Amino acid sequence: MLDFFTIFSKGGLVLWCFQGVRGPAAAATAPVNALIRSVLLQERGGNNSFTHEALTLKYKLDNQFELVFVVGFQKILTLTYVDKLIDDVHKEFRDKYRNEFQQKGALGLLNGTFDFKEDFLRLLRDAEESSRVRAPTVMKTFEQSLKSQKTVKCMIETRGEKPKEKVKNKKNKGPKKEGTEAVAAPGKASAGDKQPSAAGDKEELTKDEILQKNREEFFRRHKKAGEKSSKSPKPEAQKEKGKKPRVWDLGNSNAKVLDYSNSATNGSAEAAPPEEFDRDTALGDRNREPGRLYDLEYESDDEAEEEKVTQNPSKPSTKKGSALGGMFGMLKGLVGSKSLTREDMDPVLEKMKDHLIAKNVAAEIAVQLCESVAKKLEGKVMGTFTTVTSTVKQALQEALVQILQPQRRVDVLRDVLEARRHRRPYVVTFCGVNGVGKSTNLAKISFWLIENGFSVLIAACDTFRAGAVEQLRTHTRRLNALHPPERHGGRTMVQLYEKGYGKDAAGIAMEAISYARNQGFDVVLVDTAGRMQDNAPLMTALAKLIAVNAPDLVLFVGEALVGNEAVDQLVKFNKALADHSMAQTPRLIDGIVLTKFDTIDDKVGAAISMTYITSKPIVFVGTGQTYCDLRSLNAKAVVAALMKA
Amino acid sequence: AMAGGLEPHMEALRRELRASDPTVLSILLALLAVVVTFLIWRFVQGRRSSRKAVLLLGLCDAGKTLLFARLLTGKYRDTQTSITDSSAVYRASNDKSASVTLIDLPGHESLRLQFLERFKAAARAIVFVVDSVAFQREVKDVAEFLYQVLVDSTVLKNAPALLIACNKQDVTMAKSAKLIQQQLEKELNTLRVTRSAAPTSLDGSSTGAPAQLGKKGKDFDFSQLPMKVEFVECSARGSKGEEGDADFEALEKWLAKIA
Repeated sequence: MLDFFTIFSKGGLVLWCFQGVRGPAAAATAPVNALIRSVLLQERGGNNSFTHEALTLKYKLDNQFELVFVVGFQKILTLTYVDKLIDDVHKEFRDKYRNEFQQKGALGLLNGTFDFKEDFLRLLRDAEESSRVRAPTVMKTFEQSLKSQKTVKCMIETRGEKPKEKVKNKKNKGPKKEGTEAVAAPGKASAGDKQPSAAGDKEELTKDEILQKNREEFFRRHKKAGEKSSKSPKPEAQKEKGKKPRVWDLGNSNAKVLDYSNSATNGSAEAAPPEEFDRDTALGDRNREPGRLYDLEYESDDEAEEEKVTQNPSKPSTKKGSALGGMFGMLKGLVGSKSLTREDMDPVLEKMKDHLIAKNVAAEIAVQLCESVAKKLEGKVMGTFTTVTSTVKQALQEALVQILQPQRRVDVLRDVLEARRHRRPYVVTFCGVNGVGKSTNLAKISFWLIENGFSVLIAACDTFRAGAVEQLRTHTRRLNALHPPERHGGRTMVQLYEKGYGKDAAGIAMEAISYARNQGFDVVLVDTAGRMQDNAPLMTALAKLIAVNAPDLVLFVGEALVGNEAVDQLVKFNKALADHSMAQTPRLIDGIVLTKFDTIDDKVGAAISMTYITSKPIVFVGTGQTYCDLRSLNAKAVVAALMKA
Repeated sequence: AMAGGLEPHMEALRRELRASDPTVLSILLALLAVVVTFLIWRFVQGRRSSRKAVLLLGLCDAGKTLLFARLLTGKYRDTQTSITDSSAVYRASNDKSASVTLIDLPGHESLRLQFLERFKAAARAIVFVVDSVAFQREVKDVAEFLYQVLVDSTVLKNAPALLIACNKQDVTMAKSAKLIQQQLEKELNTLRVTRSAAPTSLDGSSTGAPAQLGKKGKDFDFSQLPMKVEFVECSARGSKGEEGDADFEALEKWLAKIA
């Protein structure tokens, strides 16, 4: 049922491959490459399965010998034995070819022949069988079922039924139903024609009697009080007595008959029946001061504190207990080769996760990152004089630098030159939520472009916010003052294209782009209105603008102060762009502009959150409000600030 | 006068040495031994780390890992995207005693700079592998990576020999080495301007101004670089497919020259 199973080294050499059901030999490489690129290299290794087109891929890393085991099968199948199979194959492959792996360098892998097919087929057969074999659930025998507990006779319903058994059952059921009611109820005058008589003799009932019986049952069910257990309909007896006068409940009956009050308690001081008044349950807290209003209690904190308090005493006790052994153990851990286990890494990873969250990385991303690092380090052999903490910190640092490295080329000037060569303007769109600094950074970027000799057209597609167009006009005027046309051969370097307020943003953008093409502008910067990611109509409008105008670069402007919100914003923006695009491959966010970077000291986690979620690079970093405060990202500096204690 | 001033001091020292306990003397001797050992060790280290590595760099899917396997074993192996480096000792075929360490670095964008940082100090030579078939499409990315390698301060200082291997020549659509050279020169010329005009990085003070590639006034040319640059054509897969040998005599000759 498997499509393929590959074993390859982390250095790239395929050690062994198994082609399962169908497909040419090369069919395994493309999905596996996709797996490597999207999962392993982007530090999403927490979850061990990955879907690519029609295949599901499950993988396992061997960090000691630097191997990767990947199995691929059809997405629609749900194979339960795959995890176990991978583990078994891992163990056996590793044991069988231990010699090749332990050679230094890659020569062992290059020269070794890995003839694993028979072993693999055997393991596959075992795994398949183990998943198939399961004892069918045995049906319960009749004796075990509940039904046999009841007597058979009571289940038979016939016309000429002896009422005795029914009465007996009702007697059994009756006390259960009426057990809570006060037994000492005085004889109440019920609809008097039903007088309890002795348990009836075994007489056959006529049709009328059956009717009466059913009527009785109906009435009985609707009566709340009263004891009816010993009642049995004896219409025959009553009929023979003759017609008795009907006594109505509300009718002309004596007041005495209707007086239900308890003679003993009538008129006494305690009107309530003698039930137990539990003072504590009524008042609640015993220790409260009378008359004082208390604040809301935060029970969760108390519980958490209690847990911590109980944990802490246990930890020092274990430390004290194994102090001497611990010292030697620490020395032993420093020297010699020790392979990392999950238990060793967990406390360190917890600390690192908290550290990352304290540095403003979104919580779920910190968790995923730590999971991925744990997967990468599990089983790895540490060198001499390296502690667990240092290994984990090193791995985390590498992972963070890896995330911040751009996955594609980030060179706006080069692309602008390319577009100029093709005689078309390079269109950049800025989108983001309210108040992140889109217009400010747009002005900074246009300043930078002008400094490099490109002419810029600013399209004011923010037709909603009051003063947006005026803001851009002020920027245009200032930039032209800084770079007057005389310095650039008589052409105005910056121009504003605006159509006032209230118009359709996508239409203005389209007109601006064609105007730029006619007038020969190099770059068009499109400023859009800020919008919340949950606002569906506005997101639709933005998606329409981007889908219709097909800009060269879609920049998401996000502020560095944002915390967990960054994840939500980016995910929803990307989703909106993908949903409303008609194209096969929708235009998503191409890059991120991180603004207000000067307001955070070293809590630079937002950079990590944003690049992790989108895997798009941070193109610009805004570090202030003047035109010169535009920087590019330095991955090492950011990671250093992040890992600083 | 100076010599006269020194003599009494020497006399005093000699008298001190003879007069004092053997402990002081032994301490002095021990210190001397330590210093001598230290010097020897540094010397030996310097000798040993005399850059014996040949790095295989390039974009993803350029064919570095296959080239690595072919050079070392001569056999064809299936490969996947590398996540980490592989290294092995390579002996030239004419069996001179000199050997180099071939290091195959991953080409993926998020890893390549990290690994380059790690191994650039030990590099005696760099083989930059280019996919000749996809070159037209990827020329900007190839040029960017090459630019990043060339402006690196360690690389400029050590000036390791650079070979640009135009791989995948077995495919008919592959571009020739001459064409690739011309295109790269043009692209690097543009990159010089755009890269130096990019906004300064966040920690701008540490990096300072980026290094200038080639001569300022003239168009960029590979001959302007401080290191020796050569272009060769090769094919790791080989014209006869997986069974036959790889087609890279020029590469092997160059490696033999380097070793």
